[in-house]
Amino acid sequence: MKSRYSSMRASWSRNRIVTKAISVFCVAAMGLAVAVVPAATQASASGKTNINYWFWGESDIPGMTKWMQQRIAMYEKLNPSVSITLVPQSNTTIISSFQLASQSKTGPDVDTQWATLPTLLPALQGDVTPISNYVSKSEMSHWLNTNENTIGSNVYAMPLYLIGVPLVWNKKLFAKAGLNPNVGPTTWTQFLADCAALKKHGITPMGMGNQDGYFGAWMFAIYEKQILNSISQLTQGVANVGSSQAQLLSSLKTMYTMFANLISSGYVNSNVESLSLNQGWQLFPQGKAAMSITTDGNVLSWAKSVGEANVGVTRPPIWGTGKLASTYDTTQSSDEFLASWSSNKAAAAKFLVFLHSTANMVALNKETGAFPADNRFPTSYITDPLAKALDKLDTSGTSIWLENDIPPQIDSNADLPAGQLITSGSGTPAAAVALWKQQLQKWQLQQPTQYSLFKKWATGA
Amino acid sequence: MSSASATLDSGRPPAAAPKTRKVRRRRQWWPLGYMAPVLVMLALVFGYSFFEVVHYSFYAGSIGSLVWVGTANYRELATDPQFIHSMFNNFKLLLTVPVVTVLALAIALMINTSFRGVRHYRAILFLPYILPATAMGLSFSYLLQGNGVLDALLTRLHLGFLIHDWLGSPSWVMFSIGGVIVWQQLGFGVVVFSAALLAVPAETVEAARIDGANWWVVQRRILIPQIRRIIEFFVILQAIIVLSSVFTYVYVLTGGGPAYSSSVMEFYIYQNGFENGSIGIASAGAVVLLLIASVFIALYLWVRIRAAKDQH
Repeated sequence: MKSRYSSMRASWSRNRIVTKAISVFCVAAMGLAVAVVPAATQASASGKTNINYWFWGESDIPGMTKWMQQRIAMYEKLNPSVSITLVPQSNTTIISSFQLASQSKTGPDVDTQWATLPTLLPALQGDVTPISNYVSKSEMSHWLNTNENTIGSNVYAMPLYLIGVPLVWNKKLFAKAGLNPNVGPTTWTQFLADCAALKKHGITPMGMGNQDGYFGAWMFAIYEKQILNSISQLTQGVANVGSSQAQLLSSLKTMYTMFANLISSGYVNSNVESLSLNQGWQLFPQGKAAMSITTDGNVLSWAKSVGEANVGVTRPPIWGTGKLASTYDTTQSSDEFLASWSSNKAAAAKFLVFLHSTANMVALNKETGAFPADNRFPTSYITDPLAKALDKLDTSGTSIWLENDIPPQIDSNADLPAGQLITSGSGTPAAAVALWKQQLQKWQLQQPTQYSLFKKWATGA
Repeated sequence: MSSASATLDSGRPPAAAPKTRKVRRRRQWWPLGYMAPVLVMLALVFGYSFFEVVHYSFYAGSIGSLVWVGTANYRELATDPQFIHSMFNNFKLLLTVPVVTVLALAIALMINTSFRGVRHYRAILFLPYILPATAMGLSFSYLLQGNGVLDALLTRLHLGFLIHDWLGSPSWVMFSIGGVIVWQQLGFGVVVFSAALLAVPAETVEAARIDGANWWVVQRRILIPQIRRIIEFFVILQAIIVLSSVFTYVYVLTGGGPAYSSSVMEFYIYQNGFENGSIGIASAGAVVLLLIASVFIALYLWVRIRAAKDQH
């Protein structure tokens, strides 16, 4: 009994030692925390303005991040009191990471987002401060495509570059199929005739990929637009205003029927559903497909492997008869904006304006081949004939990229999978439209606040 | 009169008894005291999360702009074709469990004898299990894509009639994902079964052989019954994995496509919660998934308790 009691006492004293050790550890940890917090505060109290920049652009324009890093280094040298931290973002988290940041009102001072609704929806929720509050009208008058991010008199974001989406064709393969190599198809009838001729000669007419759903989304952006008379036909349909949704769904059915015919005719590579858009595009520079719908940057890059003399570009063939059918498909793709919670908005806006200086815009074009979204950029710098042709397409006339005008949730849950139903042959155009309808209803139920803000925006209320 | 009877008579415990009982009672609580920090941590990490998931499942919208919708999310799940399809895909993947179990057991029995290089074989079989999901996903997407490596091989072998777009066709995509799961989980099964077989006493097998049992009888009548509990454990563990840990395969190989045809419950939860910011419907999906997985978790616990009782 005595021995048990003494062992109990021993364990008690061991426990005391452990308790003491834990207490010492906790006190030490708290002390460390107290010591570190003022250090962090001192960093910002040292007089330096810290700008946190969540940046995206590499997927659109290879070399973009390097260009941005160089600009930041230059700016910090010119302004020693400013420190800019660049945080590259990925395609899959670009929207969700800003959503999370806006819940805690912490994170970036400047954020990159895809244009129009991915930018305007957070703006309507009060998470974005109009850049027009900090930048003069005369400066903004030089920026191109600002209409993509404007509500009323407020411009919410700054564009950096423009991306056009042309149809590119391989002149060699056209000649092989007995087609005129110097004339690309401009109407849908011509396009189908060219496809038939190419297929007859064992050449895959179009090289695309839809494993990620983006080929379908591009068909929506280019060809659904061609049925519409105005963008509000789409936005009001999405917002379910009056009978507009029924009309929208009917026009979608027409578009998906055309798309399904294109697939069933065998005019697109047979493995379109198991290749991502990027993988599908590679069929063109490999000489395995005669045509593709792609970006300016890809055309210039592919011209190096196929030979510039063998590459032709034109606008995507016109299929629809709506008033928007004649518009081109250029977008700023992504934009830069100021987070509403940032305490360094003025300094951040000053840096963004610096990016638009002529020297920086020239450097952007020189280093990445991208077309700057600024009319001060001297087009004399574009000497390559193919680049000139692309720039001409991008800057002449009105441009609309329709995918920007649907809420991101509808884009990823309805637009992308509906196209996959068509390319995989697992669904009819009616099934694709039913998916749109179901997802529109789900969005309305699941995001009531976003829906009501969108409806206000769509109706101009 | 004994002290015990005196106590009974007076209705009072003997003087030494309260102290002993106090100490005993205190000793009963000590283990809980030691476990308290861990229990608090578990309550914070799992309990709080669980409570919040159930709580959010009654709301719509994103965090910061939540709207109370009652049970609407659960009703939405019951009619949402994507969720129903995702749930059925999880059930379809349960078919991989018997395949993995039978294959792993067969291989484990085959390599249960000591021959030259047996350890290397075991290591090679285990290798897929430790491969990073991204590397595995990329490799299999090249292998299985339409006109990919597998199709090219089939063409060379004059088996063109077997060519499919393994990841791009909604009819084949779940078979492809199931195949990858079998390929990766097989090594784990082999290692688990091999370890169990090594623990079977050699004398038992020896005795059976002396009694005239051939190889097949030894496997069927001696070894497999001896590791029955481990097989049960493995089957239930695999069922839980297939129900609640197949997100990586789907995300890396197909992204849930084409057109949701390869979506599973976890992917549905991820897409709604993280991509769409619809925390309510994602939480409701998570609750349903937890309920389904709970059935298998309960089975798993029952098997473990039974195995522990058998040992005693």
